[in-house]
Amino acid sequence: MAWIALLMMSLAIGLAFIRLAYGPTLSDRVIAMDLIGTLAIGIIAVYAMVWNLPVLLDAAIVLALIGFLGTIAFAYYLERRAGP
Amino acid sequence: MREILSGVLILIGALFMLLGGVGILRMPDLYTRMSATTKVVTLGIGSIMLGVTIHFGELGVLTRALAVIALVLLTTPVAAHMIGRASYFAGVPLCKETVVNELHGHYDLRTHELESIPLAELEPQLLIMRVPISHWSAIAEKTLAETELRRHYKVTVLAVRRGSYVIPNPDGDVRLLAGDELILIGTPEQLSEAAKAVQG
Repeated sequence: MAWIALLMMSLAIGLAFIRLAYGPTLSDRVIAMDLIGTLAIGIIAVYAMVWNLPVLLDAAIVLALIGFLGTIAFAYYLERRAGP
Repeated sequence: MREILSGVLILIGALFMLLGGVGILRMPDLYTRMSATTKVVTLGIGSIMLGVTIHFGELGVLTRALAVIALVLLTTPVAAHMIGRASYFAGVPLCKETVVNELHGHYDLRTHELESIPLAELEPQLLIMRVPISHWSAIAEKTLAETELRRHYKVTVLAVRRGSYVIPNPDGDVRLLAGDELILIGTPEQLSEAAKAVQG
């Protein structure tokens, strides 16, 4: 069952990647990036289960934090670029 | 038993993740895409983390899983709000099927502050007026529908204030009491006619 879940999430990453490549605006790319980060958290969690390595969950925590910071930075940049 | 439960939870989570992927690809504009991905993916992560916790059945995994769930639940809405707000200022278009844009005209594009427009600027011919209902008023103890304010005076009741309590956009079956205040909208002439009737 874990393999089916991995397959579905990989497919989701593929779909998000199409949006990342296609755009059309920078904001679309940012949320696609954000979604890929979140999907990576899910994939890491399921991999930790398959390989019986709970240590990998620490990487998921870090990824959750980093992804958030990246998105916030992009949002800040977008709003500054929109200008007063 | 535990394996089945954890497998089902992980499958549900992965299904939601896949839906998020479909949503970001298929939705017509940025804002609906965000709506699809943020909601769906938050639920997906929660479900997967629960499944993984059940599989391992250890305290250490549970705390890590809770940390991830808490982080995602806290950060996803904040990030989505910031991206949505920034994109709105950047002029990312709404899809053609959008019915109502409640933000339209309410953002000050210089200061990026949100405020409502004074009515005088929006429509100079209309006024909003507060009229108290006196004890001898003909409409006290009637329901809003029975007063027929709209039919007789062409004014609309925006709200009924009762002490410190406000009934916004009241229905016709709201019963008016002496001492209530009506918030009315209309032209100045219509309002003065209505106020005479309300005050008795």
